[in-house]
Amino acid sequence: MNNVIEVKNLTKVFGNKVVLKDVTFEVKKGETFGFLGPSGSGKTTTIKILTSQLIHTKGEVTIFDESLQKKTTKDYLKKVGILTDNSTLYERLSVYQNLLLYCKLYEVSASRINEVLEDVNLLSDKKTIVQKLSKGMRQRVVLARAFLHKPKILFLDEPTSALDPVNTKHIYKGLRKLNEQGTTIFLTTHDMVEAEELCDRVAFLHQGEIKLLDTPKNLRLKFSRKSISLIVGEGNSITVKNDEQGAKQISDYMKNGQLLSIHSNEPTLGDIFVQLTGSEL
Amino acid sequence: MTFSLRRVSAILLKDWYDLLKNSYILFTLAFPLLFAVWLGNMDVKSSYSFVFPINLALVICGCFVQAAMVAEEKEKSTLRGLLLSPATTLEILIGKSALSAIVTLVVIVASIFLTGFKVPSLPLFSLSILLCLIIYIAIGTLLGLLSRTVMETAIIGMPVLTLLGMGSVLKETIDNKIFAKVVDFLPSEQFNQIAMNISQSDNSGNTGKSLLILLVWVIVSLAITVITYNRRRFDK
Repeated sequence: MNNVIEVKNLTKVFGNKVVLKDVTFEVKKGETFGFLGPSGSGKTTTIKILTSQLIHTKGEVTIFDESLQKKTTKDYLKKVGILTDNSTLYERLSVYQNLLLYCKLYEVSASRINEVLEDVNLLSDKKTIVQKLSKGMRQRVVLARAFLHKPKILFLDEPTSALDPVNTKHIYKGLRKLNEQGTTIFLTTHDMVEAEELCDRVAFLHQGEIKLLDTPKNLRLKFSRKSISLIVGEGNSITVKNDEQGAKQISDYMKNGQLLSIHSNEPTLGDIFVQLTGSEL
Repeated sequence: MTFSLRRVSAILLKDWYDLLKNSYILFTLAFPLLFAVWLGNMDVKSSYSFVFPINLALVICGCFVQAAMVAEEKEKSTLRGLLLSPATTLEILIGKSALSAIVTLVVIVASIFLTGFKVPSLPLFSLSILLCLIIYIAIGTLLGLLSRTVMETAIIGMPVLTLLGMGSVLKETIDNKIFAKVVDFLPSEQFNQIAMNISQSDNSGNTGKSLLILLVWVIVSLAITVITYNRRRFDK
């Protein structure tokens, strides 16, 4: 089984509004797959369908080689971890009490609590009441809860939205560790830096349709501006073409000792998205 | 997936830890006991004054507290976490009802002691309490599911709770035969009837009839609650 998720011609209609239109993609076992797009592009709808919170209008969804409709939902939910934009904790309880509840619901040992809290760097706050935690810390506890039972697939809907860089780094660290342990991660985000940092492959979703799907590296190469920026002489910026003539120019600047710095003009995923859709993220 | 007592007890234990820190619920639970103390100290004692605190315990602890607890899970989106866990509908509903059931029973027993009520026929009295407990908790769960916030339970629930808690008084003050007939079939009135019958050793079959009506209430309230839960738990 190479693909853990296979989605074919997925369509979701709310009333008269087509939110997802013939969306097709697959997620390979052990990869981190990014579903990228601006708010309202259909990312959350997709994740809700994949986690049995919504029923799709048309198309096929196969997870672990079995149609999603045929799965006994509760058995399926045992194998996946979910972090959505409205995942919350019991505020009057401690971090430990919150996680203990889920240990019992998933029938895993309470000793897992220390392990997951260490992964999200919150072990020292184990006994803290959730009410006293910052937003970033709460999000880390929710993430810890999502992978408490070592899920085969982890679904993350905007896991670091509105978090500061320090908390974001902690979450990235935890996710990378989990991915190294074999968990497949399905991530939705509108943060292209996050996608570049975490994802093996990304799909660009725009107005309910997938516009592009590839590895970040291939996308950057494909959309390369085929030019190189140089800073030469006394700090002047110039751009040369990435061809034979450009190579000669660079060589000349180097020979004359005038080349101060050289930058390939690779586009970011954000640049590619804007170029492709004409929409800002 | 089979029924898991471990999951039910996990939800119960979570609710217990939460209750200990929830002053709003703790204060609400004390309310029927204050009434029981007040009625227990009154000189004139009728069978109604004994049964009223028990009805109040059922309405406030069984119904209102349950509604507030379910509504809070909805308001703070923690119910979604339970729904997306391996816990089944039955496990969640039983787990979420268990604490309300236990505290209601504790408050009822305390009310009986505080009012000095002599329980006439323990098996029949216990059976009617059990049936009422299921009905009130099911109605409480339903009110919680229909409310978006804890505050809303007061608005949605108040007419229901007033009718269940004060039905007898309202029947006397509102001169309307249809209303009186409706009140007569409420679980609170049936419970009053059972308590009265067994105190007076009435063997006319009225107790059996009241128990049967309570049983119908159990079936209908549970069915409506489960259907509402299944319809409201996920997004459309």
